[in-house]
Amino acid sequence: MADVLTAAPPTAASSPPRRFSRRWRNTLIGWSFILPNFLGFAVLTLVPVIAAFVLSFMDWDSYNAPEWIGLKNFQRMLHDESTKVALKNTAYYALGHVPLTVLAALGLALLLNRKIAGVGFFRAAAFFPYITSMVAVAVVWNMLFNPEFGPINQFLHFIGVDNAPGWTTSTSWAMPAVIVTSVWRDMGYYMILFLAGLQAIPTEHYEAAKMDGANNWQRFRHVTLPGLRPVTFLVLILLTVQSFKVFDLIVVMTDGGPGRATLVLSQQIYRQGIVEGEFGYASAISLVLFLLVLVLTLTQFWFNNRRERK
Amino acid sequence: MNRRKLLAYGAAVAAAAPLAACGSNDDDSSSSGPVELTISVWSMDSTPEFKALFDAFQKANPDITIKPVDILAADYPTKVTTMLAGGDSTDVITMKNVIDYARYAGRGQLKDLTSAATSSTFSSANGLDAFKQDGGKYFALPYRQDFWVLYYNKKLFDAAGKTYPTNLTWDQYVDLAKSLTAGAGQNKVYGTYHHTWRSIVQAIAAAQTGGNQLGPDYSFFTDQYKTALALQDGGATLDFGTAKTQKTGYASMFETKKTTMLPMGTWFIAKILADKKAGTTDVDWAIAPLPQRPGGTGVTTFGSPTAFAVNKNAKHSAAAQKFVEFACGPEGAKAIAAIGVVPALLTEDIRTSYFALAGMPTDETSKKAFNPDKINLEMPVSDKTSKIDTILNEEHDLIMTKAKSIDGGIAEITSRVKNEAS
Repeated sequence: MADVLTAAPPTAASSPPRRFSRRWRNTLIGWSFILPNFLGFAVLTLVPVIAAFVLSFMDWDSYNAPEWIGLKNFQRMLHDESTKVALKNTAYYALGHVPLTVLAALGLALLLNRKIAGVGFFRAAAFFPYITSMVAVAVVWNMLFNPEFGPINQFLHFIGVDNAPGWTTSTSWAMPAVIVTSVWRDMGYYMILFLAGLQAIPTEHYEAAKMDGANNWQRFRHVTLPGLRPVTFLVLILLTVQSFKVFDLIVVMTDGGPGRATLVLSQQIYRQGIVEGEFGYASAISLVLFLLVLVLTLTQFWFNNRRERK
Repeated sequence: MNRRKLLAYGAAVAAAAPLAACGSNDDDSSSSGPVELTISVWSMDSTPEFKALFDAFQKANPDITIKPVDILAADYPTKVTTMLAGGDSTDVITMKNVIDYARYAGRGQLKDLTSAATSSTFSSANGLDAFKQDGGKYFALPYRQDFWVLYYNKKLFDAAGKTYPTNLTWDQYVDLAKSLTAGAGQNKVYGTYHHTWRSIVQAIAAAQTGGNQLGPDYSFFTDQYKTALALQDGGATLDFGTAKTQKTGYASMFETKKTTMLPMGTWFIAKILADKKAGTTDVDWAIAPLPQRPGGTGVTTFGSPTAFAVNKNAKHSAAAQKFVEFACGPEGAKAIAAIGVVPALLTEDIRTSYFALAGMPTDETSKKAFNPDKINLEMPVSDKTSKIDTILNEEHDLIMTKAKSIDGGIAEITSRVKNEAS
C-alpha cells in the first residue's frame, strides 16, 4: 500500500495535471479505505445477489449445468398456489406487524421519555426481548399460546371467554399469534429509535405551543409527531423490509402451518431452493420479493419527500 | 506492489479459490496402504448403529481408518445436498431417506452400484427395490429397513384387565384405545399415541388398501382419517394440535407411561433397549403387528430403508464401495442387530439373534410382529415425490386440526397434486 501513497510525487510540473492527479490520489486513498469492507460485501453479498438475479431466468439443480429458460420461472409463479398463498401471508404479516410495532414502540417511548425513578430499568426491560434469541422467543410463546395448557387461554377462560382461540393450532389464529410475538420482540428496539427522536425535539417548541394554549393532544399532534417524522420514516422503512424478510420466527413457531396458514415468501424460497433443489425458481421468487420491497421502499421515500416539501 | 498488480493478484486468487475446492480427486483404485475413509452420518452420539458398523469394519480391515463426518440429524438432508453440490469428496454418503436418494441419483452425484445390488448377497435385502432407478440401476444399498409395529405397555394392559393385542383391526384398536384411556389432567394416561407424522394415516392407508400416495385418486385415505379422528375425538390420543405445537416426543410419551399403545417404527426398539439399560425408563413393553384394515390377508405394514451410497467425487472410491458392501452385507447386519437395529438383510439367523438380545420381549406375538407378510415402501419414489410430500403434509395438518373436513381435505389434495405437481 505504501506504493499507492507515493505514486504521485508532489513535485509534478504543471498545475492542471497536478490538480487532476491529486484528486485521483485522494479518490484512490478513499477507495483503499473502503476496499476491505467492499471486498467482503462483494464476495459475500453482491456476487450472490447478481448470481441469483441471473439464476432466476435459469433452471438449476445446484449440480448440473444451469439451463437458460427465459421467463418460465415467472410464468410458473403465476400458477403456483403456494407462492401466491405465501405472498398473501407475507402481506398479512407486514400489515399487522408494521403498524402495531410502530404504535407499541411509540407508546413505550412516550411513556419512558420522562423523568421518573428507575426509567433506565424500564427502558432496559422493554429492550430485553430484542436481544433474546429468536428461537427461545418462539418456543416460549408457543407454550404461552398452547390452546389447552397455555397461560393465555387459561387467562381468557378465567375472565369468562368460553371460545378461546386455538392460536397456533388454528388456521385463522396462527398468523395473529405470530404477529403478537414479533411485535413483542421488536417494539423495544424501535422504542430506542423513537426515544432518540423524542429527545431531539427542542423543548422550545413545546414551550411555545404551551404559550399558545395547546393541550396535551394538540402538542402531541402538532409538535411531537412532525418532529418525529424522520425517525418514523426510518422505522417504517426498517420494519417493512424486516416484515417481508420474516423467516426464523415462523419456522420455529409454526413452520408455515397449520397447512399453509403462515407460509411466508422467504420460507417458500428456502423450500424451493434448499429443500427442493430448484435454485432457479427460488431465485425468481427472491427477485419478486426484492422488487416488492424496493417498490414499497421507494413509495415510502416518495411519500416522505412530498410531505417534507409541504 | 502497485494498484493494478494488486487487483490482478486479487482476481487471480478469487478465481482460483473455487477451483481448488473442487480439485484433488486422487482415486486409489488399488486401495492399498492405509486409507482414511470419510463417511457422512447424522447425530452419531444418538445413532449407535454407525459406531457398531465402523468398529466391525475396522476390525476386518485394519488398513482402513474411518473418519465420520457428523451432521445434526435435522439438518442432514440439506447439508448433504449442499455438500454434494459443492463437489465435496466425502467417500460414503449415508442415505437418510429415499426421496433425497432419488434426487442425488437423478443428478448423477452417486456411483453406480448395480452389479453389487443384483448379486446374490444383496438381492434378498429388504427395501432394495426402493433404490431401483430408471434402467434397473442402483446407486445405493440398504443396510437397515425399519417397519411399523404396535408397541404396548404390558403393565398398563394388566392394570386395565385387558388381554394383550394380537391381530387387531383398526376398529378394534380404536375401541381398545378408548377403553384404556384413564385419568385426567396431568395424570391422564392415553390409550394410544399417534405421532404428528402424516405417515401414520396416509402411509398406512396406502400400504393396506393398495392406494397410491402419488395420486391421482386419494379417496383411499378416508377410512384411516376416520380412525385417526375418532381416536382424537374420543380423547384416546393426545390432540394433534397440542402434540404439534408442543413438539411432543413419542419416545417420552411411551417411556414415561403416558400412553398404553404406540404405533411406531422398529427403530424405536433400539432406543427402548438403550434407555432401559441406562435406567432412564423401566417400561415393560412388547410389540404386536400393526392393526389392519378388514378384508386384507396377512399383516401388511410399511417402512423405509436407510442406505449407504458412494459419492461420485469420492477420494477413495474402491475403499468406499468395500465399506458399503460390508455394512449392507451379512457382517454389517450382524453388527447392527447386536444393538437392536433392524438390518435390511433380515435372515432367520439374524432374527433369532435379534430376539436373544437382553431386554427384548420373548412372546410369540412380538416375534410374529417382527416378521410381517409385506412391508410396503412408506412413500413411492418419483421426481414428484418431494412436492407431493409437501402438499400431503400441509393438508394432513388441516384435516387433523379440523380446519378441513376429511372429504374437503382429500378434495384439496387431489386438486393441488393435479395443479402443482404434474
